[in-house]
Amino acid sequence: MSDERKRSTVETAAVAAPDAVAGRRFGATTMQDAGVVTVVAIIVLLLPLFIPSFVSSLVTKIMIYGLFATSLNIIWGYANIPSFGHAAFFGAGAYTAAILVIKLGITSFWLGLLVAIVVSAAIAAILGIPAFRVFGVGAGAVNPIYFLLATIAFGELLSRVAITIRPVTGGSTGLSGVPKAHIGFGSALSEKQFYYLVFVLGVICLFLMYRILSSHYGYALRGIHDNEKRMQALGYNTWLYKYTSWIIAGVFGGIAGVLFCYFGSSVIPSQFAMATSDISFLLVILGGTTVFFGPLVGSIFYVGIEYVVSIYLPARWPLIFGGLIVIAIMATPWSRQRYQGLGPGVLLLWRWLGRAVPRLWRREIAEAPSPKRGV
Amino acid sequence: MAPLLETKELSVHFGGLAAVRSVTFGIEPGERLALIGPNGAGKTTLFNLLTGQLKPSGGKVYFKDQDITNASVFSRTHMGMARSFQITSLFPEQSVMVNAMIGLQGVEKSRYAFFRPIFKDRVLTSAAQELLESAEIWDLRDEVVSSLAYGQQRKLEIALSLASHPDLLMLDEPSCGLTAAESADITKRVRALGKKITVLMIAHDMDLVFGVAERVILLHYGEIACEGTCDEIRSNALVREIYMGSRKQPGGV
Amino acid sequence: MSQALVTGLNGLSYAFILFLLAAGFSLTFGVMGVLNLAHGALYMLGAYIGLQVIASVHQFWAAVVVAAIALAIVGYALYWFFLKKLYNKVPQQGVLTIGVSLIIANVVLWIWGPISHTMMSPRGLTGAVHVGSLGFPIYRLFVVGIGVLVLALLWYMQDRTRVGAIIRAGMDNRDMTVSLGINYGLVSTCVFLLGMALAGVAGVIGAPITGAYPSMGDNLLLLTLIVVVVGGTGYIQGTMLGALVIGMLDTFGKAYIPSVALFFSWIVFLAVLLLRPSGLIGRKVF
Repeated sequence: MSDERKRSTVETAAVAAPDAVAGRRFGATTMQDAGVVTVVAIIVLLLPLFIPSFVSSLVTKIMIYGLFATSLNIIWGYANIPSFGHAAFFGAGAYTAAILVIKLGITSFWLGLLVAIVVSAAIAAILGIPAFRVFGVGAGAVNPIYFLLATIAFGELLSRVAITIRPVTGGSTGLSGVPKAHIGFGSALSEKQFYYLVFVLGVICLFLMYRILSSHYGYALRGIHDNEKRMQALGYNTWLYKYTSWIIAGVFGGIAGVLFCYFGSSVIPSQFAMATSDISFLLVILGGTTVFFGPLVGSIFYVGIEYVVSIYLPARWPLIFGGLIVIAIMATPWSRQRYQGLGPGVLLLWRWLGRAVPRLWRREIAEAPSPKRGV
Repeated sequence: MAPLLETKELSVHFGGLAAVRSVTFGIEPGERLALIGPNGAGKTTLFNLLTGQLKPSGGKVYFKDQDITNASVFSRTHMGMARSFQITSLFPEQSVMVNAMIGLQGVEKSRYAFFRPIFKDRVLTSAAQELLESAEIWDLRDEVVSSLAYGQQRKLEIALSLASHPDLLMLDEPSCGLTAAESADITKRVRALGKKITVLMIAHDMDLVFGVAERVILLHYGEIACEGTCDEIRSNALVREIYMGSRKQPGGV
Repeated sequence: MSQALVTGLNGLSYAFILFLLAAGFSLTFGVMGVLNLAHGALYMLGAYIGLQVIASVHQFWAAVVVAAIALAIVGYALYWFFLKKLYNKVPQQGVLTIGVSLIIANVVLWIWGPISHTMMSPRGLTGAVHVGSLGFPIYRLFVVGIGVLVLALLWYMQDRTRVGAIIRAGMDNRDMTVSLGINYGLVSTCVFLLGMALAGVAGVIGAPITGAYPSMGDNLLLLTLIVVVVGGTGYIQGTMLGALVIGMLDTFGKAYIPSVALFFSWIVFLAVLLLRPSGLIGRKVF
């Protein structure tokens, strides 16, 4: 690239802040953002040293739910495939891990994780073929409502399968007594060690998802979100993208399920069902579909409220949960979708802080081999 | 020389309505062919049949001597067809730059790359820069498409249709909704496209038609009413009748 | 064998309950294209309100009327505050109505408590008709009767009245219908309220059969979805057919092979969704 062009890109990056509308569609991955992430990660890493253990178990839950919700956002926010059945994968992961440990005596965490990944991918692959054949634009496409109903069916069906095949899955009471995770050396993990395991896995998974979503493939998904018809006209096999994104989302959802199984030491059929899927899309909508970290922010908020309510008003939790859903949907200006949710709010706040901080930051951005604005 | 694109008795029915009937025509490599006709004549429907967005009820389509009648939309693009849309069809929530990048990678293997950050792909970003610069919208690259003016969106629309380096470019009313100056600009651009690109264009703007086309086909009620060079069409009484509305549908009413 | 006849009546009456429930959903879904996943919870609300009225004034028909009106009011509030703003945004409607259903379910729990209530069939409709050695519960016959009546009324409305024609036109092409000068918005709102009222009526009439318990909303919503998809949207006959298939399948399944009855309906549901989304007798959904 010629110098002149290079300079112009750099200038626009420096001016990035005022126009950097909150949201993955426009927020650039600047040095700033990488900095935030590192700082947050370090805080989370050091947290257990300072706080009582019930708080660190809450943070573990936040990380697991964050992973779960971010995996849903791959299809919901990026590829525009809303799903009311994401818990199907969550449950699949959880049950796979539990069955392996309790019924088959395989105590290795990693093996359980691996098998769960394969199982989740298989379920996604099988369910996805007929589902996506009918969902989408082009000749023979069906009203997307039916896909949504199909996703409900997936979760409910798996939940009922779990209730029915009692010898394997423990029937309607599920399986309990999952021992602490065993990662291959030393004894089983303590709660604190489990926290770190979840943290490490969470970071790895988030990183992988982020890279996938910022890649050529990820941008193709965004294109499909905005205008599938045009994508086909441009040469993209949109069915393949949707199908593979469904599988990817399913795999990460399954991983979250495995972690949850060890977290709660038990699995129950409702982990496949709407009850759990409700949580997944509440997190996504609450946190915002347009920002990568939106669902994670949503899950922080959610776990916090859930905890407080469980202490003071436990009987009213479904009411509050429903209320959260209603507020999350109605309080979003859908026509200006980029601002929807808490995530962009946080991002906007951070950007504002970044502008208020002196030139040191600006210079850092200007010197970076900048990715162009418009990421 | 074999035609680049050829149709044989192509037709499509919606219930009882024959939107396109028995259309047979061809376009030679390097040719500029314009498709004209009053509203509702079936021009865009014909385009949709050619690009695969619509499955025909009868007839065949051949591209580069291959039968593509049942080929998917995206595979036709890979074979070398590309189109622009009458109603601007972009990616409204992305920036112009991202629009260009998405448009360019559609026929590249890299569109499946799932681990490399897209903005690090220098080949793609410089190709996008080239594309946007030639469309004269490079300075708008970071603007969100939904915030652009209509004329700017049209420029991007046409740029996207060129992104796949097509052999056959199909423009559907490229100057739709544009001012006279903007239309003249479009005419200039289309004329400037090299002989390596074949152009099939739907247009209402006669300046555009006569400024670009070598041959013109007139579509009326889904059928080819007449075809010929610009001069022939200009002096054709039938054409005048159809546009003036005194010509009724063949077969009665 | 003859017991099968009794089971058959049970299945038939259950089918009609499902029909009454699903008819409302089918109207809002097929006509307005609104995905109201609170439908099950609304049925529950109707049942509990009906229960309350019966407990207070011992009048069955009053309960039916009150439930219908109450639900129409709730439905209108739902439309006015929320659904109006989510026109055409189906996933958001789905999410919102799920939230609403959770709220309603918890409110019902709050007011009426967590225990199940058995609703007695009203005096005059208890007992059974005896044919030979078989006893056919009168109430179930009553339900079938009411169901047939409602089916006939709705079918008539769909095929023979102007309103029905407007609805069918609107389903095909809303814009065109509106441009013909028809106040389709008013029509669809009225249809929506009718659907709500039907759910209330279904709740009161169905409660003696389905029971009234705090988590009934979810089960019934899922059944409604299955019925509407299997039967097909757009035609009331489709909903009836779907209700028949599912009602019978479920009842006979529970009677003879209870262990797998649980997910028969779901298999059918999925199969229809993926192979023939228009349902058995539905408008083409492409």
